Amino acid sequence: MSLTQALSTSLTGLNATQTALSVVAGNIANAQTPGYVKKTTVQVETAFGSTGSGVEVTSINRVLDAYIQAQTRTEQSGASYADLSASFYQQIQGIYGTPGSAASLEGAYNNFTSALQALTTSPDDPSAQQGVIGAAQSLTQQLNTMTTGIQSLRSQAELGLSSDVTKANDALQQIASLNQQLNSAGPSDATTAALEDQRDSYIEQLSQLMDIKTVKTGNNQISVFTTSGVQLAGTTAAQLSFNAHGAVSPQSQWSADPSQSTLGTITLTAPNGTTTDLIATGAIHSGEIAAYVQMRDQTLVQAQSQLDQLAAGMASALSDQQTAGTAVSSPPQNGFSIDTAPLLNGNSITINYTDTATSTQHTLTLIRADDPTAQVTNASTADPNDTVAGIDFSGTPASIAAQINAALAGTGMTASMSGSTLQVLDDGAANTVNVDGLSSTTTATALAGGSPQLPFFLDNVQPYSGAITGVGSQSIGLAGRITVNPALAADPGALVAYKAGTAAADDTRPNFILNQLVNASVQFSPSSGIGSATSPYSGPIGNYLQQIVSQQAQAATDATNLQQGQDVVLNSLQQRFNTASGVNIDEEMTNLLNLQNSYAANARVMSTIKDMLTALLQM
Amino acid sequence: MTVSGVGSVSATMLQSILDLRSQLDNLQQQLGTGQKSDTYAGLGLDSGLTVSLNAQLSALSSFSDTANTVNTRISIAGTALDQMASFGSDVQGALTPNTYDPDNNGQTTAQKTALADLGSFLGLLNTQVGNRYIFSGQATDQPPVDSMDHILNGNGTLAGLNQVISERNQADLGSDGLGRLAITAPSSTSVALSETAGAAASPFGLKLTGVNSNLTGATVTGPAGSPPGITVDLGTTNPSAGDNVTYQFALPDGTNDSITLTATTASPAGPNQFTIGATPGDTATNLNAALTASIKTLGQTSLSAASAVAASNNFFDDPPQRVNNTGSPASATALVDGSATTVAWYTGGNTTGSVRSTATAKIDQSTTVSYGTQANEQGIRTVLQNIATAAAVTYSPSDVNGEARSAALNTRLNANLSPPSSVQSIQDIETDLATAQTSIQAATTRQQQTSNTLTDLLQQVSTVPQEQVGAELLAVQTQLQASLETTAMLSKISLINYLPA
Repeated sequence: MSLTQALSTSLTGLNATQTALSVVAGNIANAQTPGYVKKTTVQVETAFGSTGSGVEVTSINRVLDAYIQAQTRTEQSGASYADLSASFYQQIQGIYGTPGSAASLEGAYNNFTSALQALTTSPDDPSAQQGVIGAAQSLTQQLNTMTTGIQSLRSQAELGLSSDVTKANDALQQIASLNQQLNSAGPSDATTAALEDQRDSYIEQLSQLMDIKTVKTGNNQISVFTTSGVQLAGTTAAQLSFNAHGAVSPQSQWSADPSQSTLGTITLTAPNGTTTDLIATGAIHSGEIAAYVQMRDQTLVQAQSQLDQLAAGMASALSDQQTAGTAVSSPPQNGFSIDTAPLLNGNSITINYTDTATSTQHTLTLIRADDPTAQVTNASTADPNDTVAGIDFSGTPASIAAQINAALAGTGMTASMSGSTLQVLDDGAANTVNVDGLSSTTTATALAGGSPQLPFFLDNVQPYSGAITGVGSQSIGLAGRITVNPALAADPGALVAYKAGTAAADDTRPNFILNQLVNASVQFSPSSGIGSATSPYSGPIGNYLQQIVSQQAQAATDATNLQQGQDVVLNSLQQRFNTASGVNIDEEMTNLLNLQNSYAANARVMSTIKDMLTALLQM
Repeated sequence: MTVSGVGSVSATMLQSILDLRSQLDNLQQQLGTGQKSDTYAGLGLDSGLTVSLNAQLSALSSFSDTANTVNTRISIAGTALDQMASFGSDVQGALTPNTYDPDNNGQTTAQKTALADLGSFLGLLNTQVGNRYIFSGQATDQPPVDSMDHILNGNGTLAGLNQVISERNQADLGSDGLGRLAITAPSSTSVALSETAGAAASPFGLKLTGVNSNLTGATVTGPAGSPPGITVDLGTTNPSAGDNVTYQFALPDGTNDSITLTATTASPAGPNQFTIGATPGDTATNLNAALTASIKTLGQTSLSAASAVAASNNFFDDPPQRVNNTGSPASATALVDGSATTVAWYTGGNTTGSVRSTATAKIDQSTTVSYGTQANEQGIRTVLQNIATAAAVTYSPSDVNGEARSAALNTRLNANLSPPSSVQSIQDIETDLATAQTSIQAATTRQQQTSNTLTDLLQQVSTVPQEQVGAELLAVQTQLQASLETTAMLSKISLINYLPA
């Protein structure tokens, strides 16, 4: 009976239109919902017997450009990385102060040198002496404050990592559970589409935290991997954990060796129980987490190192005394001798010798390092051309001589100790080596020791001698501990009186201090990122400070530029994504009008059939 | 930051609105502070330049402070030195012409002037700039000279100038007032004048330098022998009237004087004359007496004056030289280091190097000026020493040789106050200081120009011109307004607004 068939057909039309209407309503309702992807209905024709055909909505599809989505996720990680880096760099800039202001590092340093200049003109003026102490204290406080600032930023990064790991775990759990739900869900309907939307939103959250790869597998599953291929989530989620350390100091260092590390690391525990250190394996390259790690372990460590080098440069420039050895002869051998008694840990003895076969000059530096766990390497001095050895001077003269001879092995020179006096001789008649000189660098510890050098700055209450111990160099974190020698602050007259009976207006010491800080060339360790290992930065302390400030400013500018570039890329991708997958109200309105018409038409068919049936029954 | 698209509003559009907004905020801040940025990063490539410019400007400002301080010190030192030189001229003027008018205290008008000037002179030497004694070399915390009372009259057991002059006077005159000479008669017709054994090698007394004679028939020998002596042997013939013999002496202060004795027939003979007796033996006796009297007079006049000058020189020496005082000064044979027994007039610092280098100032990266002064520099010491000598000596109104001694002393002081150009004078010190001041002036002018240039450059890199910011602000404002209006208009263009209700 074809009339009832037509009735059934229009009924399918009404049903399909209703379904489509509810999709349009859903699209309009979710127009502002983040992560919502526009849905469309898929209608197919259904056959009824020989003459009629109906319509059926077989599925509700998401209008998704998978390529743009993947691209957006990648760029999302990059943008989060760039945003966070730029924000950190801006905060670091805040630590360096306003250009030219007295509260900036350069301002404090310039005030210090100005005060010294005034002191050289009026060494006898107590107010000039007090001025130098005051300016020096401002400078050390500035360095202390900046260190606190840098370390609190590191601590912020540590906390940020902790909270990001929590967020990542949450997202991974959600992705895994959504995968499970989608696994058991049937063909794509409104529920499936909504679950997929949610899953995409969690993946997007995760991609802000770290760079990830997604692989779509059968049965509507998405597996999430790190870019290096470690699986993070499938139907089960891996567990990330972060062992946050509360207190962060300049000495805090991340290390791949958990027993050495004093900062947190991210451990991934796979569902099967295997664990991976994601920081040690370098599994995370982008996203907020990578930015936090970069800040905590590289950028801020380097910024701290720059301040430490500056502080160490100032302390050493004023306290280091060079003493030349005395020529000695024990025919046919010739050489030099020097007293090792004044050497503090970190002080050194330099042996210059010539290999006569090749006429090349060599430098051997012996650093006093009494701690047997100290790591003394050629990089322990800024000089790229010397060979460095650590010597424990706390033992007997015989043990010291044995250590030095071990360091001299192969050079042809021999060392002997008599009491505290070290004697280095060439090989005499064989004449394969000549000792050119022997000198020691020691740290002045007395204010009136008879030389212009003085312990102006202290490491808390200890003299700064650059001691190397098992935990590293004394210079690490020095900027946070450097103080003006309290004995000097209590007696500013010692800025002039370098020995008993110094005349009131004797400008020897003030001139020395000013010259060391303004003109003398200091070699800086390349660990601060300025200069390289083969050609370390060498120049006046003021110029180094200038290098630090401009390097930091440049890095901050670069970070901001990267961020802006990344934002442009991400925005345009999102724009394209939105154009393709977002809800366009105009389009939906048009669809609505069409559906309204379609519904009315179908209803009209039904009404007509009803009229026809009525007419038929009334016959 | 990135913005997710909201509905039909484009994400890019939103982003650009936010960017414009932040530009607007930035410009507003620039307009308010006048600074391009409050961070180094905000200065871009110029951040390093800013740091180095600030350092250079700070150094220039320090140099300028130094120049001011040093200029003040040099100007004050210059004024003091001017006055010291004028005290020298003042005393010199008072000493010429010689007016001998001792008062009850034995001081002439010229001496009173010298005494008053000495006080002022010492006061000038103790000039301070701030708390700094500028004539003390490096010992700027110590006054460079002792008080006038101590210098003249001594301090407790330490002898002053008066005592040093008095002891030296005794040592130069000897107990018999003959200037440490002896007059003998080796034969009946001869007169021998010789330095005494103890004094010959000493700096004290008169030294024989020569003799001239036209005495008829006389044999004159010397000065010769040890100790040096001059013998006049009249022989067998009496000299004729008008014949004379001249004895020449060196005095302790390095000046020379002589005594000419003329033969006369008058009896008694006048001063510096001897009567020709009946026999050469009688004449020799008269010559002997005349020589003795003349030398005694010389001792009271020229020798005493020269002795005072020499004593003053000893007192102002470093270390002070004193008559060896183990026995009577009159028989002293040497000068000894008197630092333990004598007032040290100079109490400032001493340097082994150049006096100017006792105060140095770096007025430029590579220029250092030296402007130290010490009260014991030759130029200052000469004037001080001569004024002090003039003030120290006293005259008894009853002393018949007073006037001649005063004239002899005044002549010497007058000459000493005008030292030869080869010896440093106060003007030489002033010239040194003026040279330093000229260097400072030149450096200051140079630095002022550099500072102006650098300040300009710093302004260019770290500040923004108000007009430019204003213009940019307007431009951004217009752009933002346009964007906002367009966005608002676009948001209204939606089918919803055009569907029948």
